Amino acid sequence: MKVLVCVKQTFDTEAKIELKDGKINDAGINLIINPYDEVAVEGAIQLKEKGIATEVVIVSAGADKAMDAIRTALAMGADRGILVKQDSAADEYARAVALADAIKKENPDLILAGHVAADDGSSQVPTRIAEILGLPHVNVITSIEIAGGKATCTSEADGGTAVTEVSIPAVISSQVSWNEPRYPSMKGIMQAKKKPVATVDAIAVENKVKVLEFALPAGKTAGIKIEEDPDVAAAQMADWMKNTVKVEVK
Amino acid sequence: MSANFAYLNARDLKFILKEWLPTEEIFAYPQYADYYSKEDLDSVLDPCLKMAKELIEPSNEDGDSHPCQFANGKVITPPTFGPLFHKLQEEGWGTSNIDDSEDAMVLPKVLLSAVWEMFLAANPTFLPYIILTCGAAELIRDFATEEVKEMFLPKMMDGSWSGTMCLTEPSAGSDVGDILSKAYPTDNPRIFRIKGSKMFITGGDNDFTENIVHLYLARIEGAKPGTKGISLFVVPKYWVNEDGSLSDNDVQTTGIEHKLGMYGSVTASLSFGENNGCRGWLLGANSMENDGVGEGMAQMFQMMNGARMETGHSALACIANAYYNARDYCKDRIQGRLITDPKSGRVTIINHEDIKRTLLMGKAHIEAMRAMMYRTYFAFDIKHNDLDPEKRQKASNLIEVTTPLCKAYPSDEAWWLIGEAIQAYGGYGYCEEYPVAQIARDVKIYSIWEGTNFIQSMDLVGRKWMMGKGAVFAEFLQEMRDFCEAHKATVEAAAGGEAGLPDLSLGKEFAILERALESYSQLQMAIGGYMGQKKVGMLPLYARRILTATSQLYAGRCILDQAVLASRKAQELGPDHYDYNFYIGKIMSAKYYLRNVVPNVWAVADIIKDGDCSALDIPIGAFDY
Repeated sequence: MKVLVCVKQTFDTEAKIELKDGKINDAGINLIINPYDEVAVEGAIQLKEKGIATEVVIVSAGADKAMDAIRTALAMGADRGILVKQDSAADEYARAVALADAIKKENPDLILAGHVAADDGSSQVPTRIAEILGLPHVNVITSIEIAGGKATCTSEADGGTAVTEVSIPAVISSQVSWNEPRYPSMKGIMQAKKKPVATVDAIAVENKVKVLEFALPAGKTAGIKIEEDPDVAAAQMADWMKNTVKVEVK
Repeated sequence: MSANFAYLNARDLKFILKEWLPTEEIFAYPQYADYYSKEDLDSVLDPCLKMAKELIEPSNEDGDSHPCQFANGKVITPPTFGPLFHKLQEEGWGTSNIDDSEDAMVLPKVLLSAVWEMFLAANPTFLPYIILTCGAAELIRDFATEEVKEMFLPKMMDGSWSGTMCLTEPSAGSDVGDILSKAYPTDNPRIFRIKGSKMFITGGDNDFTENIVHLYLARIEGAKPGTKGISLFVVPKYWVNEDGSLSDNDVQTTGIEHKLGMYGSVTASLSFGENNGCRGWLLGANSMENDGVGEGMAQMFQMMNGARMETGHSALACIANAYYNARDYCKDRIQGRLITDPKSGRVTIINHEDIKRTLLMGKAHIEAMRAMMYRTYFAFDIKHNDLDPEKRQKASNLIEVTTPLCKAYPSDEAWWLIGEAIQAYGGYGYCEEYPVAQIARDVKIYSIWEGTNFIQSMDLVGRKWMMGKGAVFAEFLQEMRDFCEAHKATVEAAAGGEAGLPDLSLGKEFAILERALESYSQLQMAIGGYMGQKKVGMLPLYARRILTATSQLYAGRCILDQAVLASRKAQELGPDHYDYNFYIGKIMSAKYYLRNVVPNVWAVADIIKDGDCSALDIPIGAFDY
């Protein structure tokens, strides 16, 4: 069974985001595999270790440097990679179209991805891919069983869990609690360099989203310091909360 | 009890490996060429930084809060240590790197050292279990018969078994020539019956490996006294039978030490052959077939020299982690107002002059020591891999001279530098809820073990100064003079200081290095004069200060070399580039180190020329008051 995993290269989650000339400044930023996708990579490798998957293929759409994310996944244990070269400004629609095209040519039995990207948080790409390819889609899974041409997925649901059975091929997107991604071993890192990675150009489509402006969240404002006796201070604090901060009491 | 691995990035390590040292020479050697290039190093360093933070750091707190225990003859280690040991060993970050077979997938020393620095900083008490296993396995690899290699190496390389070095005995520490351990011949000329006691054995016992392989110094019965007659043996805790099964080898743990720090690292006392049932494999020639002269000390020196490098490196990692923690605290802690603008609001303490000085002092020392150490690690790779015998010899000479510096200088400076990190925190630094307190407890041992820093100093002035009739050390000094000569013209032309930009010129720093070199020659002449007058006591009296001065001279050369490169890069990139501050930081570190630390070389030279003997002249009775 061939398992294909979509990975996105994102900023390190501890990176300091800065704007330059109205855009997010990526100079000097450490880039990583989207942590949610990393869980999907681990899930695929575990399927291979269990003898269910025979090949794990990593596909990423992005600029040349997305190759590093593919190599990291190969170092974890995936078999080969595909870099779909695409402008880093592509939106979720363009990404999904590009990835779906590459996936279709590979004809995998299972497509895995993280349910959301740590950078834009839009949670769209796996669902769009499933729609484009006409495949079933299960979201935010925390475990998967494959048998008899079907995937039985456990997902988080309000107040409990949902168990969904779908025929494969299917697009399955992971929740972080599915597993704990492994650290690449030294030999894994060395072998990753020799594993094949194909490079293809993305289908050219127009973005559907036009970015008008990037803005950072407003910084925290300073608090107040009330230097009064407790009874006066408490009254002033209550007044400040009610009239300045406008805390609503229900 | 609040361990915190505070390396935010591996930028300085990447600078050393990708920009400063010509590591492309290393990666071109056949053993590495298929796997590495400079461009690939991030793919090793970045995941290891993450592993240090997420995987190894938690074990540091575990080690401190669950110290090693000894009960019913068994050692109990902190719960996380065993699983971590097996994980790192199995995944190729430890002993498998000593494999020198043709198809082995291993890291070069200079790169493995960068990985280990991060692991050491994350948990200095854990890594000795791996480092000592590497050292013991290297001795077996280099000196054992094929039979013994096959018996031990695969299990040591995959982490099933660990290793130790067994030198110290209750009656013989620094004076190792006085050991009482004995070896008696058996029917097999390679196997000896072993009897003796060892103490202060790091990793001497544990509860997570199937077997422990002790590299054990003993004297074959009838061999010469002193270090000359000592031989080296492989003495496993459990004897390895022909079918690979294990049986008792009469090795008992008699106790463990309760120490100032390093709670997770076992320091064991061991008894060998208490019931006459302990056996060991001899490495190298039988001393009784060689006029009673054994090869043990020379062989063990290989492991000791490796362990000495790792000791200095451990101290460096601890200093760096303490400094990085203090830096983060000083960037957050708000206290006081600027002396230059007292009417302004309160500021984070990193804005205060004395805190900035403290932090730059830490940064400068760390980067100077790191530069010094990695230049030696680089030489290890040249020595072991290069085909050119002249190049190998040159690398070997550098290793010989700098090993005592790399061991002693960081481990000497660590105590007060970490003290300064505590000082930067104020009262919180003295509290166990902040990580620097534990680092201070853990770091002190490094100036003592693997040969005290006095022994290192005597190695420098007694052996290394004289090596090759003085030619090796003369070459070491001449290289520094050549370095000054080669760069003087270019640095004087360097831009800087204009338009509010930092001063990037390094002319004054080169002048300081040249003056320090001249002072060092005077220092050597003064010592030579005392020796000519038969004032032998002057050598040990000044040895430690000479080692410090030698290290400051050499570390000054190394960090100044880095600053020359950083100055060029900063000028190429300009102030708007994201990496500009990194290079400016390198230059400021070099300026601080050269102008505030290296002048100690001529201070020491002046003191030695003055020749104060009060410490020799004082009657012992005067110490009663």
